[in-house]
Amino acid sequence: MPRRGDGAQLRMPLGTLDRSPPPFFKQGPSALSKLMVCSTLALFLMVADARFRIAQPVRAAVATILFPVEWLAMRPVLGLRFVAGYFESLASAQAGEAAARQRLAQLSLRANQVEQLEVENRRLRKLLELRDRLGAPARAAEVLYDAADPYSRKVILDAGLAQGIQPGSPVLDELGVLGQVTRVHPLVSEVTLVIDREQAIPVLNARTGARSVAYGDPSGQGGTLELRFMAGNADVQPGDLLTTSGVDGVYPPGLPVARVSKVDRRQDSAFARIECTPQALVQGARHVMVLTPLGSEGPQRPAVPEDATAGARKGQRK
Amino acid sequence: MIMRPGQQLLLPANPVFIWGSLLLALLANMVPLGRTPWLPDLLALALVFWSVHQPLRVGIVAAFLFGLAMDVHETGLLGQHALAYTALSYFAITIHRRLLWFSVPSQALQVLPLFIAAHAIQLAVRMMAGGSFPGGSLLLAPVIESLLWPLISIILLAPQRRAPDPDENRPL
Repeated sequence: MPRRGDGAQLRMPLGTLDRSPPPFFKQGPSALSKLMVCSTLALFLMVADARFRIAQPVRAAVATILFPVEWLAMRPVLGLRFVAGYFESLASAQAGEAAARQRLAQLSLRANQVEQLEVENRRLRKLLELRDRLGAPARAAEVLYDAADPYSRKVILDAGLAQGIQPGSPVLDELGVLGQVTRVHPLVSEVTLVIDREQAIPVLNARTGARSVAYGDPSGQGGTLELRFMAGNADVQPGDLLTTSGVDGVYPPGLPVARVSKVDRRQDSAFARIECTPQALVQGARHVMVLTPLGSEGPQRPAVPEDATAGARKGQRK
Repeated sequence: MIMRPGQQLLLPANPVFIWGSLLLALLANMVPLGRTPWLPDLLALALVFWSVHQPLRVGIVAAFLFGLAMDVHETGLLGQHALAYTALSYFAITIHRRLLWFSVPSQALQVLPLFIAAHAIQLAVRMMAGGSFPGGSLLLAPVIESLLWPLISIILLAPQRRAPDPDENRPL
């Protein structure tokens, strides 16, 4: 019986042990200095991204490199979705189809009236010499997945720069305003939902005509919107529909945004706390429309008189 | 060289396997499962594992680059994951000589503070940048990550535990 130590080690081929002496001279920079450099770079990127918005080229480059990995990672989820859709029972599919047909009938009634109303409206507007209301060009897109970031509320669309999506475009689903495109990558784009904490949207109370701004509030169940700075005695009731007001030059006017769900008038505060439920499917939208922001092809500005512009230029020169 | 009592002699690690496992962890992190703050960050786990076992191959710069990729994918603040992974990798390299002297379950207990620190860094950064609080289930993520440590130790060390001279009785 061979003793341990001589036979076993001698028979072992070279290079089979994970034990190599650490390099003596080629040490490279120390771990602490690497930590310093990398964390400084990370902090710089954060500031550049959050405050100055200049990190977009880095983001677009990394997103393009990552696209094949993301595409591959999406396959299992898309496969599951396909299988689930395939095995959905016939009854529920038929019920869905009946509901869709009913809704289509209702909508077609309205749509036919809209044709006539639009003609009438155009004539009346011409009579009053008002500017024509703009119909924003739109394109369809599909929501790929919810962004995994738990600190914000965003979704990823399957269209990007290559499909002509512009940053700032409003995004709608079949029920209302879903959000706004905030970043555009070459092949995908990011949509910030209306319930995101940083998203605000100018709205108009369809019942009273009062304008205000709705802020996202993701903390409520499923995400809500909040009308801030409305006076405690403002005329707002639960059930009021809020539509886009169009004063921002981004959203076309008249799109449904949210419905007021709760009005809390407090004694100790000058403002009421008004909670609204979004109309769009912020949790599970699949097919959406991306509009072109109005600002890019907004109405022509009124012609400024010659001497007025000259005066302004003179003022600038001083 | 000082050997730990009961230490196995391992085969050299294959660089292709190391980087492949990191890429696979990145892929697993990118599977779109919606907004679930309690899901364990498999990439962080793999980065800590290789920073502990192969600190000369996988280090802070690699962690930073993988963090950047996660940031772009999650659409969060650029640099948030990069900072967290950089710190994670640095702490892992700091404790790597001590950690391997312990049994695997107590290793899991010792890497728990690392994962807590990584999530705390991200939470602090996002709260300062004005994000919304993701909810208390975020606390589960580091615990699950540390519970996965024994599992990942078995899986990622398996290729190094093969026999050096495979024959027909020992094909692996």
